[in-house]
Amino acid sequence: MIRLILIRLLAFISTLIAASIVLFIAINVVPGSAARAALGIDATPQAIMRFEAMNGLNRPLHVQYLDWLRKALTGDFGTSFQNRVPVGPELLKRLPITLELAVLAFLIANLIAIPLGTAAAFFHQEGPDSLITLAATILGAIPNFWLATLLVLAFTLKLHLLPAGGYAPFFDNPGRNLEHMIMPAASLGLVSSALLLRIMRTTMIEVLGSDYIRTALAKGAPRGVVIVRHALKNALIPFLTVGAVEFGFLFGGVVIIEDIFLLPGIGSLVLVGIINRDYPVLLGAALVVTIAVLTANMLVDIVASVLDPRQVHSRAGR
Amino acid sequence: MSAPTTAAVAAPRSTGRRVNWRRYRLLAIGGSLAALTLLSALFAHVIAPYSPYDLNVAEMLQGPSGAHWLGTDELGRDVLSRTIYAARISVEVAVVAVSVGLLGGTIIGIVSAYFGGLVDLALMRLMELLFSFPAILLAIVLMASLGTSILNAMVAIGIIFIPGFSRLARASTQAVLRQQYVEAARTVGMGDLRILVREILPNVIAPLLVEAAVAFAYAVLLESARSFLGLGAQPPEPSWGNMLNTGRGFMARDPWLGIVPGMAMFLCVLGFNLLGDGLRDLFDPHLRD
Repeated sequence: MIRLILIRLLAFISTLIAASIVLFIAINVVPGSAARAALGIDATPQAIMRFEAMNGLNRPLHVQYLDWLRKALTGDFGTSFQNRVPVGPELLKRLPITLELAVLAFLIANLIAIPLGTAAAFFHQEGPDSLITLAATILGAIPNFWLATLLVLAFTLKLHLLPAGGYAPFFDNPGRNLEHMIMPAASLGLVSSALLLRIMRTTMIEVLGSDYIRTALAKGAPRGVVIVRHALKNALIPFLTVGAVEFGFLFGGVVIIEDIFLLPGIGSLVLVGIINRDYPVLLGAALVVTIAVLTANMLVDIVASVLDPRQVHSRAGR
Repeated sequence: MSAPTTAAVAAPRSTGRRVNWRRYRLLAIGGSLAALTLLSALFAHVIAPYSPYDLNVAEMLQGPSGAHWLGTDELGRDVLSRTIYAARISVEVAVVAVSVGLLGGTIIGIVSAYFGGLVDLALMRLMELLFSFPAILLAIVLMASLGTSILNAMVAIGIIFIPGFSRLARASTQAVLRQQYVEAARTVGMGDLRILVREILPNVIAPLLVEAAVAFAYAVLLESARSFLGLGAQPPEPSWGNMLNTGRGFMARDPWLGIVPGMAMFLCVLGFNLLGDGLRDLFDPHLRD
C-alpha cells in the first residue's frame, strides 16, 4: 500500500514538472508578445527591449524556466506584468472559490448520476431506462455556458429568486454564498452528470448481471439491500476512475462559468491572464488548475486501490 | 475480415430486430442533424433569407414574425440568417481541428503499437502528459500564446485531440497485430510501411471514425466557448458563441436572442454525438450497452 502511494506520488511530481514545462513553452512560444500586450501596439522597439530586460524575458527560455521553477517551489510565482501585484497570494485568495465551485458541481453531477444510472441499469431495456438515457443524451449535448444563460433567464430574470452573479464568502454568510454558487455549480454539474450517468449505467448493468448478485437475489435478499450493499460498492470502482477524468473536464469549465457569474476565482484569473497576455498570472493560474486535476486523479487511484486491492498489483507493476 | 465485422456476426439473434431499428434510429437522427449543420455551413449564402451583416435599425429587437422567422437582433439583423451563417466558422474550425487530431493521433498510435518497446513508451508517456491537462485549459493557453486567429484555434483544438485518437489507434492496432493476416503479410515479405497502410490502417479506421464524430461535437463546443469569451470570431462576423454572448445582454426583454444561438449549438453537438453513437453501434454491436 505504502509502495503504491509512493509510486503514485512520484508519478504525480514528474507529471507536474513535465506539465509545467509544456505550459511554460506553450505560453512563451511567441516571443515579444507579452511586451507588446503590456505596452500597447504602438510601443517602440526600445520600450519593448527595456520591458523584456526588466522582466528577464530576454534570457534563453530554459534559463527563464529554471528561474521560474526555483522561485515557484518557494511559493513565489512572480508579479503581474499589468499591475505588479504578486501572483502567489492572488492565487491563494482565489483558490477556495474555484474549489468550492468545482466540488459543488461534482457533487451535483454525482447526486444525479449515481441514483439515475443505477435506476436505468435496474430497469435495463425497459421504459425508465430509455427515458433516463434520453435525458442523459440531451443533457450531455447542452453547452454549459448556454445552460448558465438559461438558468439566469429562468431564476434571475423571470422568477427573481437568485442573484445573476457575484460572490459572498462562505464563512461570512453561508446562505448568501450558496445563493451565489448554486447556479454556476448547477451549470457545470448538470452537464457533467450526463457522462457519469452513462458510465454508472454501463457498469451497473455489468455488475447486476454477475453471478454473486444473482445468487444474493436467489437466496431471497431484498433487492434494495443487494443493490446498495453489493452492486453499488462494486460498480463505484470503475465509476470513480472516470469520475476523476470528468472532474478535470469540469475544472476546465470554470474559466467560462466564473466569467459568466462574475466569480473571482482561478478561472476568471486565467481569462484575465489571456486577455492581458499577463504571463506570470496565466502560468500560475493554469498550473493551479493542473495541480487540482492531477491531485484528483492521484487520490482516485489510491482510493480505487483501497476499495479493490487487486488493482494494487496491476498498477504497481506498470 | 476485420474484427468489428466478426463481432457483428456473433451478435445475439434474439434481440436483432429491435437492436437494428435502434441502431439506425440513432444514425438517422444524428446524421440528419449533422447534415443540417454541414449544409448550413456550405450553402449559407443560398439558404439564408437575408445578409447576416445588413443593419436595419428600424426593425431592431423584433420578435419572431413572417418576415423574420427568428426575429431580429439589437442592430436589426435577421437572427435566422446570422445563425445559419454562424455554422460556417464552427464547421471550419471543427473540420480542421478533427483532421489535425485524427491524422496526428492515428500516426502516433499506429507507430507506437507497431514498433512497441521504447518508441511506444516514449510516445505514450508524451500522450499521457498532454492528457493530464484539462483540454479546454490547454486550448486556451495555446490560443493565448499563438494568437486568437481562426487558424491558431484550429491547430490548438487539434492538438488536444491527438492523445485521444492516439490511444484508440494504438489499442486497435494492437488488436489487429494479433490477427493471422498480419502474420501472413510478414511471412510473404511485405515491408513495414506496406503492412501499416494496406493491412492495419483499414482495420483500425472504424473506431477512429466514431471518435471523430464525438471530437467534432467537442470542437464546435470549444470554438463556441472561445467566441463566447470574446477570444474568437469578432463581430460583425457571426458565430454562435459571440451571438449568445451579445444576446444575453438583451435576455430580460428579448429571450430569443439568447435561446436561438444556444439551440443551434445544442442541435449541432447533439447531432454529432448521436452520429458517433450510431456509428459505434453499426461497427460494433457488442458495445451498444
